[in-house]
Amino acid sequence: MTNRSKFLSVAIAAGLLVAAVAEAHHSFAMFDRNTEVVKSGTIVRWSFNNPHSWLYLNVKGDDGKETLWSFEGSAPTGLIQRGITGDTFKPGQSVTFMYCPLRDGRPGGAIGWARAEDGTYLNPADGGCNGSKDNIARWEELLKKGVTTQTQEPKEAKAQ
Amino acid sequence: MSSVKSLACVGIAAFTLAIVSPNALAQRGQFGGGYGPPLKAEKPPKEFATSDEHYEYLLAQAKGGTKHTLATVPRWDGIWNTAGNTHLDAFIDGPGGLAGKVREGVLTPAYEKAYKERWRQQIEEGQVRYDRLAHCEPPGMPRFLLEPYTHEFINMPQESYLINDFGPSIRRVLIGKKHSNLYGTHSWYGDTIGFWDGDKLILNSKYLYPADFTRWSPMTSNQFESVEIWQLKKYPDNVERIEVQATFYDKFAFLKAVSVEYAFRRATDLEKADYRINQWECEQSTNAYLDDKGVSNFHLPGEKGFNDARGSTMFPELPGQTRDPIYNTTLTPNSK
Repeated sequence: MTNRSKFLSVAIAAGLLVAAVAEAHHSFAMFDRNTEVVKSGTIVRWSFNNPHSWLYLNVKGDDGKETLWSFEGSAPTGLIQRGITGDTFKPGQSVTFMYCPLRDGRPGGAIGWARAEDGTYLNPADGGCNGSKDNIARWEELLKKGVTTQTQEPKEAKAQ
Repeated sequence: MSSVKSLACVGIAAFTLAIVSPNALAQRGQFGGGYGPPLKAEKPPKEFATSDEHYEYLLAQAKGGTKHTLATVPRWDGIWNTAGNTHLDAFIDGPGGLAGKVREGVLTPAYEKAYKERWRQQIEEGQVRYDRLAHCEPPGMPRFLLEPYTHEFINMPQESYLINDFGPSIRRVLIGKKHSNLYGTHSWYGDTIGFWDGDKLILNSKYLYPADFTRWSPMTSNQFESVEIWQLKKYPDNVERIEVQATFYDKFAFLKAVSVEYAFRRATDLEKADYRINQWECEQSTNAYLDDKGVSNFHLPGEKGFNDARGSTMFPELPGQTRDPIYNTTLTPNSK
């Protein structure tokens, strides 16, 4: 196992542990938590609602056409403890974000982290994707290398 | 993005907090350790065949219970969050998280088999496929004890109200009463009676629906009953923690009584943020559903069944009917 894959395994195991114990009102089985994707878009709505928050964004595809994407985040009480409120994301703002996609391929998923135009990172994630400080640091390095998609191998995580 | 910028400092500190967020790490005793000493389940002083026997024993020990007045009843005002528990320690062997295995000999054969399948899904598929809360069933008991979101506990001499904003869920505790079940059936929170023993609130809950603790926990039957001892304790660094020593009886699910400790901490962070509990209901604010593969999924905007929690109105011709008056946004579904 290379150092990189060891690091990935530890990160995945840590992520799975947190995800496994994260509480929400539904299962996270619809999300592919082994895949993390970075996109940019324009915020349409930030629904700071119970039992989960949702971030809706328009994302421009390669053909220039905009698609409405939907991303689930944590519950308001959890987000407030991270400094995120109902005014944090406003319609019209541009944001870069990482998410774990819906397994069925529709335009949506679980939000991981979000990066504002000024470079500030926020963690609105619930158990469906890893928005932790460690994962943000990992992605900062990946983004410098031009990486925007990471598919991780669950078998490695299980071996931990 | 000025509001984001203004929250940057809070956000940086909050990243650390997020790692130990009780919402994220509420399930093992050690994860609640950030707010007071480690939790430890205490077994009853002796074995009891039923929750009734257990409750009556405690009531006799307390000589009928402390008769509090409005001036003396312990006050647990404020906002509370879950703060860890020893829950999985009662059912899982080995290290924390997914590395453990279902402990044999705790559950009856049928419930142990069912639990092993849930645990297998958790490990091999990354998640139990479905959670009944997804279609807006209440958490109920015993799930109330470990479900996150925000809690309030209101004590009066004749009644206590144990409230979770999830749903919302309210357990009504009738102090000094006997059980009553005029409906002749069971329910999500059943019937809870209690008494005070000084500053300890002792509860006995019965007549509950069959349910589950959580997705990674065993199922419980319609014979599940509990005896709980609630007490507010204070620790250094201004930690206030309500600790709940619970013993569960279930002749269909458990081979013998199971004891677990749960905890709630005063949410000073939410109180400092001037947080208010908002009334919310699940049915119009969630889009989770059980798909034809038996897996939780979501309705997205434009799809049949989608609930627009901030936009729906039956009277679009009238001004001021949107549920999102501050930002007044509209979700335009993607064209097919």
